[in-house]
Amino acid sequence: MKKTILEMREITKYIFDAFGHALRGSTVRILDSVDFDVKEAEVHVLIGENGAGKSTLMKILGGIIPPDGGTMKLDGKEISFSGPRESLHHGIGFIHQELNLCLNLDVAQNIFLGREIGKKLFIDKKNMYARSSEMLAKLGFDIDPHTLVRDLSTAQQQIIEIVKVLSYDCRIIIMDEPTASLTSTEIEKLFEIIKELQKKGISIIYISHRFEELKEIGDRITVLRDGKYIGTVPIEEFDYDQIINMMVGRKLGAMYQCHHVPTTEKVLEVKNLKIASHTKPIDLYVNKGEVVGLSGLVGSGRTELAKSIFGSRTYFGGTIRYDGQVIKKVHPSQLIAKGLVYLSEDRKLEGLVLEMPIAHNITLASLPRLFPKTNIHRGKERTVALKGVRDLNIISNSLDQLCNTLSGGNQQKVVLAKWLLTEPKVLILDEPTRGIDVNAKSEIYRIIDRLASEGVGILMISSELPEIIGMSDRVYVMRNGTISAELTEKEDFDQEKILSYTLG
Amino acid sequence: MHSADNSQIKDIPSVISNALRKFVKANGSVVIFLILWIVASVFVRNFFSIENMLLIIKQAAIPTIACLGITVVLMTGGIDLSLGYTLGLCSISVGLFVKSFGLPIWLSIVLTLLIGIAVGLFNGVLVQYVRVPAFITTLGSGFIIFGLAQIISSGSDINRLPPAFRAIGITEFGGLNTTVVIAIVTCLVMYYVLHRSTFGRALAAFGFNNRTARMSGIKTERINVMAYVICSFLVAIAAILLTIRVNCAQPTMGGGVYTFEVITGAIIGGASLFGGVGTVIGSVFGILIVKIIENCINLLNVSYYTYQAFQGIVILLAIIFENVKNRKL
Repeated sequence: MKKTILEMREITKYIFDAFGHALRGSTVRILDSVDFDVKEAEVHVLIGENGAGKSTLMKILGGIIPPDGGTMKLDGKEISFSGPRESLHHGIGFIHQELNLCLNLDVAQNIFLGREIGKKLFIDKKNMYARSSEMLAKLGFDIDPHTLVRDLSTAQQQIIEIVKVLSYDCRIIIMDEPTASLTSTEIEKLFEIIKELQKKGISIIYISHRFEELKEIGDRITVLRDGKYIGTVPIEEFDYDQIINMMVGRKLGAMYQCHHVPTTEKVLEVKNLKIASHTKPIDLYVNKGEVVGLSGLVGSGRTELAKSIFGSRTYFGGTIRYDGQVIKKVHPSQLIAKGLVYLSEDRKLEGLVLEMPIAHNITLASLPRLFPKTNIHRGKERTVALKGVRDLNIISNSLDQLCNTLSGGNQQKVVLAKWLLTEPKVLILDEPTRGIDVNAKSEIYRIIDRLASEGVGILMISSELPEIIGMSDRVYVMRNGTISAELTEKEDFDQEKILSYTLG
Repeated sequence: MHSADNSQIKDIPSVISNALRKFVKANGSVVIFLILWIVASVFVRNFFSIENMLLIIKQAAIPTIACLGITVVLMTGGIDLSLGYTLGLCSISVGLFVKSFGLPIWLSIVLTLLIGIAVGLFNGVLVQYVRVPAFITTLGSGFIIFGLAQIISSGSDINRLPPAFRAIGITEFGGLNTTVVIAIVTCLVMYYVLHRSTFGRALAAFGFNNRTARMSGIKTERINVMAYVICSFLVAIAAILLTIRVNCAQPTMGGGVYTFEVITGAIIGGASLFGGVGTVIGSVFGILIVKIIENCINLLNVSYYTYQAFQGIVILLAIIFENVKNRKL
């Protein structure tokens, strides 16, 4: 029996802002009493759907954000971190999904960043480069420490990250989807390194969505779902169906009420659209009054597809037909005027002007239609904004309240109000319920259903399977930049089935 | 739900203090102006007189027009460092047109305004489409414009302009002159453009968050270029009026010092260097504050260099005040 070196008990975290501080008055728990432990020299795999809390848990372990509750013990001693550096000094290294290297510095400079070897003012370059090549050689890599990181492949950059983490004498290394951007030979190489590290007694926490990988290198698998700890399974007992069940096994409540009846009149049709030069073409259509679900992992090309349709991204061939007309190289303003709108997944960056009041945000996309003579009529503006606030039940002090003081759910409703005011015929919703509480969620589902009843065609992108299953009339599944499956019958909407198309 | 509860628990003193807070937050420069005015009236001899008030207003008129221009650019999150040099180019241009070439007055003015628009287009297109930061672009274009002004003037000034041309700016009535009237009209027009039109709304949205603005169907490219065009157009108006006032068209008129003074006014007036924020009232009072300080320095017989250093202190204080205000209120 291997020794347990790290124990996390009942870790709780409320929904937080960009600085890791809990949002005032929020009761949404991203992590709810999660337990997690790591044994010596094991590869512990952490899985769960998007938003299950994996990254948040790892950010807490990496000292990036503080927990709101629970304890962490390293070798039986209680620990807490004030920042990532402290976590690193306790021997916990974090390799992020997006690599954190300085591209304009060379390999050795990156490895010793912030703790350059030398006396006082002068850097002992010889020593630094010698030690860098030594460390690289130990892992069996022949990379010149003088090479600029910019000139390395992604896999090589990942290796530099690993060397950097190891040079701190780390005993636990967190790898967040390390294979996401690697080729298959590079992945093999990475697995060799992981096994090598294991032999040296180093433990790995490995986050991934790819099941094949888990079986190859994992020792134990822990599943999180909706911020809760579901269970831990040793790899010998790995059972595909059971794991998927653990990942998604929740009941669909009365949240989703579908009263709308889809028509068979196509309003949006995409043919042979390629979102990147190397991806397979996409065919997709949306009927009037239909809610079409678009499922898939983050990064599978869902947002790219939506933005290609909305004219805010260049794509690689294919045609988009809207309302009978081919649309090509258009500015969003033209599409909005015609009734095709896109609600971005990032409401803070692409949905709202946070520093402006609710009223101004609601009318922002309808200015030319509401005020064709360019003269903003204050009374009219407030009347239409107030209608939006009332219709969507936006909870606020006044129409003049700035959007950055609203809760996530109310912010999302303001964005929705903005788009509804444009009187759309097709509404593309990108993660419409991300990061908002249950009440606001069910309200947004009601609005979606109402719009579909009014004949609006809706394309709903979501990572949440229950939402896709509960709301959609038809479902597309995306994988690797293209559509991997279309499910047309409601009986086929099944979490296991969709997930299997998602993961491939 | 908590936000709904907050709205109901409001006692009367907090309503008043909230209203006061809101006013100070929105009109910080008006408050600074009043404080400065009272202090100057008490401590600076000869400051408190009607003649002196009118003098300050006259002195503030032309920079106010240019300041409204830079306010539009600041609202996009950009900056126009070529402003002072554009002023010089337009000054020498109008002098050449009206005196050396002997063109009709109206044509000289129209051509000068067109030069202003051309400069704005040049700056705007560079900033928008070449995607060089405005700071660098307009620093570079400023030198080009300065050089151009020197070349077309052969380095010399044009004195004694036609009286009919000068009448546009210096016709006096009731202690004020037509320049002040033009400035007031400009303020009213710009008030409409910035605060009452869809353009102003789109400009603010663009300045705060250009991605949201674009995704909401705002033609951000056009707005960004237009901001520089409006700025240089207003600077051309200011140049014509300043040329009339000093009765001399000079290629070296304006320059970096003028740019700095005008930006100071806008910043004191609450315009944000990060975009989105800027008001006509703020900028007007910003310039009035700059001019009161200048006036006091004159009355106190302090050297011009001290004035420049003082101006630097004022701009720093204004920025610090802005920060403190945003944090505390």
